[in-house]
Amino acid sequence: MAPAFQQLESMRSEQEIFGQVRRVLIDLFELPPEKVVLDANLYTDLDIDSLDAIDLILELKQITGRKVQPEQFRHVRTVGDVVVAVRDLMQDETAA
Amino acid sequence: MLDRGSRRFGTGLSFVTFGVGGTLLSVTLFPFLRLISPDRMIAQRRINSAMRRVMGLFIWFMRSLGLLTYELHGLERLARPGQLIVANHPTLIDVVFLVWLTPDAGCVVKRALWRNPALRWPVIWAGYIPNTEGAQLVQDCARVLKGGRSLLVFPEGTRSVPGKPLALKRGAAQVALASGADVLPVTIVCDVPFLTKGSHWYRVPARRPHFTITVGQPIPAGRYMGENQPNSIVARHLTTQLAAHFSRGIESVLRASAGVLVTNPPEAHSASL
Repeated sequence: MAPAFQQLESMRSEQEIFGQVRRVLIDLFELPPEKVVLDANLYTDLDIDSLDAIDLILELKQITGRKVQPEQFRHVRTVGDVVVAVRDLMQDETAA
Repeated sequence: MLDRGSRRFGTGLSFVTFGVGGTLLSVTLFPFLRLISPDRMIAQRRINSAMRRVMGLFIWFMRSLGLLTYELHGLERLARPGQLIVANHPTLIDVVFLVWLTPDAGCVVKRALWRNPALRWPVIWAGYIPNTEGAQLVQDCARVLKGGRSLLVFPEGTRSVPGKPLALKRGAAQVALASGADVLPVTIVCDVPFLTKGSHWYRVPARRPHFTITVGQPIPAGRYMGENQPNSIVARHLTTQLAAHFSRGIESVLRASAGVLVTNPPEAHSASL
């Protein structure tokens, strides 16, 4: 596969993942859609607490269909971090 | 009425009395009650009822010194066991009032107490819960409620910031969801800033503070558990509802007391200083 195409492919899937993550955040936490942007901080900008984070991880488990370890989300701070974490999970899945 | 200087002295005296008295009881009465009790539950009941008396004595002490006045409404509603009692938290002595007024309740208190060599054991014996964070705290709280005991929680997590809207954390609502307990809101209003967050105890107000403590109507578990929504949403709704309840209650008490002040201009003037 040509590198440029590969890049395009991963960009597209990241866009898709962002769409799904965004949907989950809006539904789970009643957030106004315009606030859910990639660099929004979950804790300070979106008022998500540690208990919400557990609910979020459970919901992402549904989407990815993979076992999600809370440790994989330890360093997650922004919506963009969630997208990256989910993408990494899905890549692990294709590799496996 | 006592002048400001005397009230400052009295407030200092109360603090010293509370600190010294509390420490003394923690190494005498409370261990004694634990020792003479055949099991943990009996010790817990005895220590709780001793703590209630001590807290009542302390409020009586402050009132007798002319440091504060208070009025209490709807106290009978505190008696039912197994309720999640949630209160707003304007002053340092709110917990003293509520422990005194509630027949038997566990209480979420500062985790720093578990590092205090004197107070550590009494809070453990009384079945209190340290305010750690997250899922563990919610589970610990729910266990108390499921065991049929009431639990006292300040959902703000710390004292209110004067002049700012109440900022409730959603942990208390999560405890309600995890336990299925009825929620009993208690609104505490102090008509002048007194022992507030970030102020020193010696900044006593120009006027003697008056506390109004109102036990509201319980919110039955069925009312919020019935929502066919994820916990994260129900916790948000319940928290918003509680914040609105407290704000309304505070406002109506303050409006009523402002009405009194208007008829008494010199006091109104000094209170605004």
